[in-house]
Amino acid sequence: MADRFAPGDRVRTRATDPDGHTRLPRYARGAVGTVVERAGAHPLADERARGGTPDPHAVHHVRFAAADLFGAGDHAVVVELWEDYLEEAP
Amino acid sequence: MSRINDVGGMTGFAAIVQEPDEPPFHADWEAHVLALNGALIRRGIYNLDEFRDAQERLPVPEYLAASYYERWFAAIRVLLVEKGVATSADLELPHG
Repeated sequence: MADRFAPGDRVRTRATDPDGHTRLPRYARGAVGTVVERAGAHPLADERARGGTPDPHAVHHVRFAAADLFGAGDHAVVVELWEDYLEEAP
Repeated sequence: MSRINDVGGMTGFAAIVQEPDEPPFHADWEAHVLALNGALIRRGIYNLDEFRDAQERLPVPEYLAASYYERWFAAIRVLLVEKGVATSADLELPHG
Protein backbone atom coordinates (compact mmCIF):
# COMPACT_ATOMS: atom_id res chain seq x y z
CA MET A 1 0.00 0.00 0.00
CA ALA A 2 1.40 3.40 -0.98
CA ASP A 3 2.14 5.84 1.81
CA ARG A 4 -0.43 8.57 2.21
CA PHE A 5 2.28 11.02 3.25
CA ALA A 6 5.78 11.98 2.14
CA PRO A 7 8.54 13.98 3.85
CA GLY A 8 7.60 17.66 3.94
CA ASP A 9 3.86 17.06 4.04
CA ARG A 10 1.89 18.99 6.63
CA VAL A 11 -0.27 16.70 8.73
CA ARG A 12 -2.70 17.03 11.59
CA THR A 13 -2.94 14.37 14.27
CA ARG A 14 -6.18 12.75 15.30
CA ALA A 15 -7.94 14.81 17.96
CA THR A 16 -10.21 12.09 19.31
CA ASP A 17 -9.38 10.18 22.46
CA PRO A 18 -9.68 6.42 21.93
CA ASP A 19 -11.04 4.12 24.62
CA GLY A 20 -8.06 1.81 24.63
CA HIS A 21 -4.31 1.74 24.24
CA THR A 22 -2.79 4.16 21.75
CA ARG A 23 0.67 5.43 20.85
CA LEU A 24 -0.48 8.96 20.03
CA PRO A 25 0.45 10.92 23.15
CA ARG A 26 -2.17 13.24 24.57
CA TYR A 27 0.11 16.27 24.20
CA ALA A 28 0.28 15.67 20.43
CA ARG A 29 -3.45 15.28 19.76
CA GLY A 30 -5.00 17.58 17.20
CA ALA A 31 -1.63 19.18 16.45
CA VAL A 32 -0.20 20.18 13.06
CA GLY A 33 3.32 19.12 12.15
CA THR A 34 5.57 18.18 9.25
CA VAL A 35 6.49 14.68 8.13
CA VAL A 36 10.26 14.17 8.44
CA GLU A 37 10.77 10.61 7.19
CA ARG A 38 9.24 7.20 6.95
CA ALA A 39 10.02 5.12 10.02
CA GLY A 40 9.19 1.65 8.78
CA ALA A 41 5.94 -0.24 9.01
CA HIS A 42 4.59 -2.00 12.05
CA PRO A 43 1.32 -3.59 13.22
CA LEU A 44 -0.85 -0.89 14.77
CA ALA A 45 -0.40 -1.03 18.55
CA ASP A 46 -4.00 0.07 19.16
CA GLU A 47 -5.24 -3.08 17.40
CA ARG A 48 -2.58 -5.40 18.82
CA ALA A 49 -3.53 -4.25 22.31
CA ARG A 50 -6.97 -5.71 21.68
CA GLY A 51 -5.43 -9.07 20.84
CA GLY A 52 -5.47 -8.63 17.08
CA THR A 53 -2.73 -9.54 14.61
CA PRO A 54 -2.97 -6.60 12.20
CA ASP A 55 -0.92 -6.05 9.05
CA PRO A 56 1.98 -3.58 9.21
CA HIS A 57 1.00 0.07 8.76
CA ALA A 58 3.33 2.90 7.79
CA VAL A 59 4.96 4.86 10.61
CA HIS A 60 6.33 8.38 10.17
CA HIS A 61 8.48 10.73 12.18
CA VAL A 62 6.55 13.98 12.49
CA ARG A 63 8.13 17.23 13.67
CA PHE A 64 6.13 19.71 15.73
CA ALA A 65 7.01 23.13 17.09
CA ALA A 66 7.14 22.72 20.87
CA ALA A 67 5.08 25.90 21.21
CA ASP A 68 2.29 24.24 19.20
CA LEU A 69 2.25 21.29 21.60
CA PHE A 70 2.93 22.93 24.95
CA GLY A 71 2.24 26.62 24.38
CA ALA A 72 5.88 27.53 24.92
CA GLY A 73 9.39 26.60 23.85
CA ASP A 74 11.45 27.39 20.77
CA HIS A 75 12.59 23.84 20.05
CA ALA A 76 11.06 21.11 17.91
CA VAL A 77 9.66 17.76 19.05
CA VAL A 78 9.75 14.75 16.71
CA VAL A 79 7.14 12.07 17.45
CA GLU A 80 6.96 8.60 15.88
CA LEU A 81 3.38 8.17 14.70
CA TRP A 82 1.41 5.62 12.75
CA GLU A 83 -0.17 6.90 9.56
CA ASP A 84 -3.53 5.92 11.06
CA TYR A 85 -3.20 8.84 13.48
CA LEU A 86 -2.62 11.41 10.72
CA GLU A 87 -4.70 13.37 8.24
CA GLU A 88 -3.73 16.02 5.70
CA ALA A 89 -3.41 19.48 7.19
CA PRO A 90 -4.80 22.32 5.06
CA MET B 1 -10.79 8.54 28.15
CA SER B 2 -7.30 9.77 28.84
CA ARG B 3 -5.25 7.29 30.79
CA ILE B 4 -3.00 7.92 33.75
CA ASN B 5 0.13 6.74 31.93
CA ASP B 6 -0.16 9.55 29.37
CA VAL B 7 1.29 12.48 31.31
CA GLY B 8 3.80 13.88 28.81
CA GLY B 9 3.86 17.66 29.07
CA MET B 10 1.95 17.66 32.36
CA THR B 11 3.40 19.71 35.20
CA GLY B 12 3.27 19.11 38.93
CA PHE B 13 5.40 15.98 39.21
CA ALA B 14 8.57 15.86 41.25
CA ALA B 15 11.85 16.02 39.38
CA ILE B 16 13.12 12.74 37.95
CA VAL B 17 15.94 11.43 40.14
CA GLN B 18 18.91 10.23 38.13
CA GLU B 19 21.00 7.67 39.98
CA PRO B 20 24.70 7.52 39.18
CA ASP B 21 25.66 3.95 38.24
CA GLU B 22 22.03 2.92 38.42
CA PRO B 23 21.75 -0.89 38.63
CA PRO B 24 19.41 -2.72 36.21
CA PHE B 25 17.36 -3.89 39.20
CA HIS B 26 16.92 -2.62 42.72
CA ALA B 27 15.76 -6.01 44.05
CA ASP B 28 16.00 -9.62 42.86
CA TRP B 29 12.22 -9.90 42.42
CA GLU B 30 12.35 -7.22 39.73
CA ALA B 31 14.61 -9.42 37.61
CA HIS B 32 12.19 -12.33 38.08
CA VAL B 33 9.29 -10.16 36.90
CA LEU B 34 11.26 -9.10 33.82
CA ALA B 35 12.06 -12.74 32.99
CA LEU B 36 8.50 -13.90 33.64
CA ASN B 37 7.05 -11.26 31.34
CA GLY B 38 9.47 -12.16 28.56
CA ALA B 39 8.63 -15.84 28.88
CA LEU B 40 4.87 -15.19 28.74
CA ILE B 41 5.20 -12.99 25.65
CA ARG B 42 7.47 -15.49 23.88
CA ARG B 43 4.96 -18.22 24.60
CA GLY B 44 2.24 -16.13 22.98
CA ILE B 45 0.12 -15.76 26.12
CA TYR B 46 -0.12 -12.06 25.34
CA ASN B 47 1.73 -9.49 23.27
CA LEU B 48 3.68 -6.38 24.25
CA ASP B 49 0.82 -4.02 23.44
CA GLU B 50 -1.64 -6.03 25.51
CA PHE B 51 0.91 -5.82 28.33
CA ARG B 52 1.13 -2.04 28.01
CA ASP B 53 -2.66 -1.82 27.84
CA ALA B 54 -3.00 -3.88 31.02
CA GLN B 55 -0.68 -1.48 32.87
CA GLU B 56 -2.70 1.49 31.66
CA ARG B 57 -5.92 -0.13 32.89
CA LEU B 58 -4.69 -0.47 36.47
CA PRO B 59 -6.71 1.55 38.99
CA VAL B 60 -5.28 5.06 38.97
CA PRO B 61 -4.32 5.19 42.68
CA GLU B 62 -2.59 1.81 42.31
CA TYR B 63 -0.79 2.93 39.13
CA LEU B 64 0.49 6.12 40.75
CA ALA B 65 1.62 4.40 43.95
CA ALA B 66 3.41 1.54 42.20
CA SER B 67 7.04 1.37 41.20
CA TYR B 68 8.03 0.51 37.62
CA TYR B 69 8.25 -3.25 38.16
CA GLU B 70 5.30 -3.29 40.56
CA ARG B 71 3.24 -2.05 37.59
CA TRP B 72 4.69 -4.83 35.47
CA PHE B 73 3.78 -7.46 38.07
CA ALA B 74 0.26 -6.08 38.50
CA ALA B 75 -0.28 -6.16 34.71
CA ILE B 76 1.03 -9.72 34.47
CA ARG B 77 -1.45 -10.81 37.15
CA VAL B 78 -4.32 -9.12 35.30
CA LEU B 79 -3.38 -10.78 32.02
CA LEU B 80 -2.85 -14.26 33.51
CA VAL B 81 -6.46 -14.17 34.72
CA GLU B 82 -7.89 -12.59 31.56
CA LYS B 83 -6.10 -15.11 29.34
CA GLY B 84 -7.32 -18.04 31.41
CA VAL B 85 -3.86 -19.14 32.54
CA ALA B 86 -4.70 -18.72 36.20
CA THR B 87 -7.67 -17.83 38.35
CA SER B 88 -7.67 -14.99 40.85
CA ALA B 89 -7.74 -17.68 43.55
CA ASP B 90 -4.64 -19.32 42.05
CA LEU B 91 -2.76 -16.04 42.31
CA GLU B 92 -3.56 -15.81 46.01
CA LEU B 93 -2.20 -19.28 46.81
CA PRO B 94 0.89 -19.27 49.00
CA HIS B 95 3.98 -20.85 47.55
CA GLY B 96 4.46 -24.30 48.88
